[in-house]
Amino acid sequence: MPSPPMASVTRQLSRRSVFEALLHRSPISRADLAKVTGLSKQTTSEVIDAFDQQGLVRPVGRTSGNVGRTAVLYELSPEGGHVLGIDLGARLTVALADIAGRVLAEADEPTDSRGGAWALEQIARLAGRLARDNHTHPSRMRSIVLATPGVVNPKTGAIEMAPNITGLGNLNVVGLLGEKLGSPVAIENDINLALLGEIWHGCAQNVANVAFLALGTGVGLGLYVNGQLVRGENGAAGEIGYLPIGGDPLQAESRLQGCLEYQVGATGVMRRYREAGGSDVDSVREVFERAQAGDPLATGVVDETARLTGLAAATVIATIDPQLVVLGGSVGARPDFADKVARVLLRLTPRPVDIRTSTLGKRAGVVGALSVALGRLHDELFGVAELAATLPLPPPRSP
Amino acid sequence: MTLESTHCFAADLGGTKLAAAMADARGRIVAELTEPTDPRGGAHVAEQIVACADKLARAVGTEAARVRQIMVGVPGAIDPLTGRVSLTPNIVGLQDFDVLGHLRGRFGPDVVIENDVNLAMLGEHMLGCASRCRNAAFLALGTGAGLGLLIDGKLFRGARGSAGEIADLPIGRDPTSLTPPAPNSFELEVGSLAIVERYRRQGGSAAVTVRDIFRFLEEGDEVAAAVLDTTARWVALAVATLQSLLDLELIVLGGSIGVRPEMYARVQRVLPALFSRPVTIAPSRLGDRAGLIGAVCAAAQALRQRHEPAQRTATNVSCQTDHDGLAECRAGE
Repeated sequence: MPSPPMASVTRQLSRRSVFEALLHRSPISRADLAKVTGLSKQTTSEVIDAFDQQGLVRPVGRTSGNVGRTAVLYELSPEGGHVLGIDLGARLTVALADIAGRVLAEADEPTDSRGGAWALEQIARLAGRLARDNHTHPSRMRSIVLATPGVVNPKTGAIEMAPNITGLGNLNVVGLLGEKLGSPVAIENDINLALLGEIWHGCAQNVANVAFLALGTGVGLGLYVNGQLVRGENGAAGEIGYLPIGGDPLQAESRLQGCLEYQVGATGVMRRYREAGGSDVDSVREVFERAQAGDPLATGVVDETARLTGLAAATVIATIDPQLVVLGGSVGARPDFADKVARVLLRLTPRPVDIRTSTLGKRAGVVGALSVALGRLHDELFGVAELAATLPLPPPRSP
Repeated sequence: MTLESTHCFAADLGGTKLAAAMADARGRIVAELTEPTDPRGGAHVAEQIVACADKLARAVGTEAARVRQIMVGVPGAIDPLTGRVSLTPNIVGLQDFDVLGHLRGRFGPDVVIENDVNLAMLGEHMLGCASRCRNAAFLALGTGAGLGLLIDGKLFRGARGSAGEIADLPIGRDPTSLTPPAPNSFELEVGSLAIVERYRRQGGSAAVTVRDIFRFLEEGDEVAAAVLDTTARWVALAVATLQSLLDLELIVLGGSIGVRPEMYARVQRVLPALFSRPVTIAPSRLGDRAGLIGAVCAAAQALRQRHEPAQRTATNVSCQTDHDGLAECRAGE
């Protein structure tokens, strides 16, 4: 591919810096934009006029308090483009944001238990509703990112090892969903995205080395080191359900489901409660609630789950040396559980590490999906081949 | 002074031996020596490194002033901010001793210290069996257990320089069941002391070192075979752990115990039963010189980068050196 002429690279760089300033400092006047970007007033005005014509910016009032003429203040217009984040797990969550990163709407419901094509149909329906409510349409989304359990092969885009959602592994999810929504879809592991969610809006802002340990239906790990996700050679980094912790790795169940997951995954916790002589429960949550109510059998199961999770965290700390470990997922984010894990860890590692509970909870995945969708949209509009880095995302804010 | 007339000095400090090399700016080793580590530890060991540099400089007929880059591998975690070394149970008096400050006092500012297993990983990446890998690990098994990590083509040191300090892996005796609960479980199973102790407990004859046990194995000693089988199983569990966490292309087994073909074969044999996903292991190609060669590569590269600031990269040790230097380094072996 021939490189673009110098003038067009320069123009793109100007557009990029004005956009970045609007993203982080709006509302802002033309004069301040010129000051912040270091561009001439004329160039700044040309860029703003072009943005105005494209519907990227809108005026939001005037400066006040100064002697003399007041100046028009600009901000990014919500009409400039929308992105969609989807988190497909035991529940389905869909969220809509504008180009400035303002989250406009969010909806969630239990995932269709029939899985597969039905789940994709459900995504299309929910996305359509959210878009309609905000006077747009899924086909007008500039960027869509789907969070999914399982391993996303970085080379093929196929989902491998997604045992907790039926019938997903056999489908070309990216292709089918892209067709249904009428816009291209990117896909990423849900725990990796939950980690990025915590980094954008949650408890891991401005931390360069973070491990996100998720415990819910299954168990998984997201790793962010030196400012980047670690995906591994085949996208299977962080599949810690297979850690040889909590049982005999030679056992058939360990080989199939993973040694650790067989013990601490949702079905494992419920199974251990039953085996301990506990009465029937329908969910992990019930086991935890009974423990809090003083049921000694449930307490034993919860304590053992915390001990095994602590061993997994100790493994991560010894190997990766993160600055921060975030506990997330429907079980992991429970404060009573996190306290127990922290107490186990204190006895296991000579190097105490900052441990926090996910602040986004079940929203972490969808927020992370939005952050990646935004980064991709910004890259598409303002990317410069010579600058590999994506524009920094704005801090959290409401519409 | 031209680049061509300068030298770099590399050392690999271990619990029992100290290896050192003088190399030219292209990374060609021109002189090399190995001696037992000064058992008094601490400042004595630091002075021993200085003395090695003097000896090698005299041997190649160069002046100390022409040695322009010093790279020393140390068996411990190095704090990225202070340069302080910690977690060094195998050398007395090194914990909290300012090795870097001491060496800079003697050599001048151009001294870098790096974790020894990280340098071994780098050596295998530059010139050994991991040359095509971007995601790999070097699992060192000897007196203790250590790990060097290559992630996305770069050495990975962790937030506080203690990534890969896997003596604490909760593999082996369950650390929560001990009273009081204690880390170090993995090293307590696979360190050389543990192996010798296990051999003695199982009624083996008077083995003094792991080397003896390997010799007995060759002579058909069944206790030796059983003890090494058990050790290999723990090592295989560590390999499974690393693969679960990081999904690597290759895990290199190194260190005096890890490099033994008898150990590699045993780990390879039990792995498929313990871990259902694909994992590739290989014995270290550079053997006990992996750390030293990694140090030479890193030193030569730092030297060249100082002379060609345009090519300077963000870290002192980067693995993306030019291949010209690599070929030279290989030729110099």
